Amino acid sequence: MTKIGVNLTKSYAEINEKIKNGDVVVVTAEEMIKIVEEKGIKVAAEEIDVVTTGTFGPMCSSGAFLNFGHSDPPIKFEHLWLNDVHAYHGNAAVDCYIGVTRLADKSPFMYGGGHVIEDLVSGKPIKLRGVSSTTDCYPLGEIDTEFTIDDLNQAILCNPRNAYQRYACAVNSTDKTIYTYMGKLLPNFGNGHFSGAGSLNPICNDPDYEIIGIGTRIFLGGGIGYVIGEGTQHNPTKRYGTLFLKGDLKQMTPEYLRGVHYEKYGTSMFCGVGIPIPILNEGLARKTAIKNDDIITEVIDYGVPRRDKPILKQTNYKELYSGSLEINGKKVKCSSLSSLFYARKIANELKKWIQEGMFFLNPPAERLPTDTIFKPMKVTAELKFVKDLKKEAIICYEDCDIKVVAEKIIKQNMNHIIITNREKLLVGIVTSFDITKAIAEDKNELKDIITKKVITTMDNDPIEIAARKMKINNISALPVIDDNNKVVGIISSEELM
Amino acid sequence: MTIINVTLPFGLISKVNDYSTIINEILKYDIIFNILKFSTSSSGINLLLDIPEEEIATITESLKKNNIIVNKKGRITIDLEKCIDCGACVSLCPTDALSMGGVEENNQLEFIEDKCIGCLLCIDSCPRHAIEENK
Repeated sequence: MTKIGVNLTKSYAEINEKIKNGDVVVVTAEEMIKIVEEKGIKVAAEEIDVVTTGTFGPMCSSGAFLNFGHSDPPIKFEHLWLNDVHAYHGNAAVDCYIGVTRLADKSPFMYGGGHVIEDLVSGKPIKLRGVSSTTDCYPLGEIDTEFTIDDLNQAILCNPRNAYQRYACAVNSTDKTIYTYMGKLLPNFGNGHFSGAGSLNPICNDPDYEIIGIGTRIFLGGGIGYVIGEGTQHNPTKRYGTLFLKGDLKQMTPEYLRGVHYEKYGTSMFCGVGIPIPILNEGLARKTAIKNDDIITEVIDYGVPRRDKPILKQTNYKELYSGSLEINGKKVKCSSLSSLFYARKIANELKKWIQEGMFFLNPPAERLPTDTIFKPMKVTAELKFVKDLKKEAIICYEDCDIKVVAEKIIKQNMNHIIITNREKLLVGIVTSFDITKAIAEDKNELKDIITKKVITTMDNDPIEIAARKMKINNISALPVIDDNNKVVGIISSEELM
Repeated sequence: MTIINVTLPFGLISKVNDYSTIINEILKYDIIFNILKFSTSSSGINLLLDIPEEEIATITESLKKNNIIVNKKGRITIDLEKCIDCGACVSLCPTDALSMGGVEENNQLEFIEDKCIGCLLCIDSCPRHAIEENK
């Protein structure tokens, strides 16, 4: 019997006893909201023993350690591929780590490490190719074989960063569709993508890491897993907490481990994570009743390919789940990249496991840090900008004669002539090739040969961004413009060499 | 109004404005219709047209006489075995043909064929290759 007082407390032992006796009261984090609303925190804390959470989304920092056992004669892998996906091999002879974002060598973007893990868990045969430079103790130089998960000694899912506390909503301010790890983003704020499970998200229900710590037993990929530490980039002070998780892949199911690919970005894996929160006190009853309205996040412009992207506004998961948000007075349709349906399924599955006495709760061996921050990369090379390398643009007005343009190309030894109006506002670009073509096709008017759809750059763009623009558009120079479309220079591939 | 997908096969195209063959054929019927999409591909010139329901049969017949291929919509098929109900396609759909329902709902992907205008924006947004264009 639990004594009801001002500060009600329950112990893990008491809750586990109830699980054993089959009279434990378990609800999902969504159900907890209604219970607290109807009965209040005090009664909810008294009546509810465990609140289950769940999330199912793309988690790029995931992968698995595999051990194959030894061949005869034995091999020490120098490189190995699983279904044509290069696995990491910097461990002992026949251990490897297959990461979910690694792309297949022959069909990149279509298949990757995440798909290998899904196939492995599905029981499908996996092709293994390994090569070695050979040693006296490991004389085999090459191996081609096939295995299933049952043939492995260990298959351990080990994910350095999972279950982000929240994520920002990504939109795109540019005039082009961009393909990002936040999916396909249409130009001019055409759509928005967010991720996470809102009120079902594990860390959102234990924001002070009272019960989620090292050793916490959890639902992972349809099997049992453990929190083994804070995740990489764990940033609890900014409410971007993450978890380091591991679990036995052999117990897991492909339903909760799904290989995915994002167009022109790469592969990843959806990973199902569910964490039970024992309601040890009223504080946890209150925290597990968190609503989507209370989970604040930001709308961020992914059109800016920099580390610090502009924050456009604040939002919350209630607005995000409504299917649209307002940006600059425009209604922008938004949707989730992670699955709320499966997040609920996970929370319910975990609830069932506990109710049926198949899953017990344990206190953490160590607490996770609550005060760390996420530092940027230390880069020793100085960042160069377009303004540092640009040259003066050779400009002709739009009503100029083709012959004058041709003369400038020769005289200035420049391949690109920028065409502007009298206010120096960009109108187009003409290259020496365009002039040659004009002569061949007997065209005399500048307006017939000018390229009007010009890819441009700006003074404060890092040169890598300008270089990528040239590369993906297969061009060799970009006019540099200011905010008003006025031409302030040119940068060509020669400067970038 | 009903949406039809009309293709002028590549072999029949000799000049750029040959698509007017399709339009002229429909104009004979003196009806109001919408051109939702104009595109070209290796299969030919493709128009997505929104036409009054009652005229579909006659217009289809008339177009077919000119060797123009008529399909009911440039629709998509969703492989529910592959779909993981994430929602990555939903924000790209301009007509709510793809939806997850509100947060109170089941949140499984629902595809309403009648609302699909065949813009195909969703196809490359699917991380599971679960959306395919009907050929």
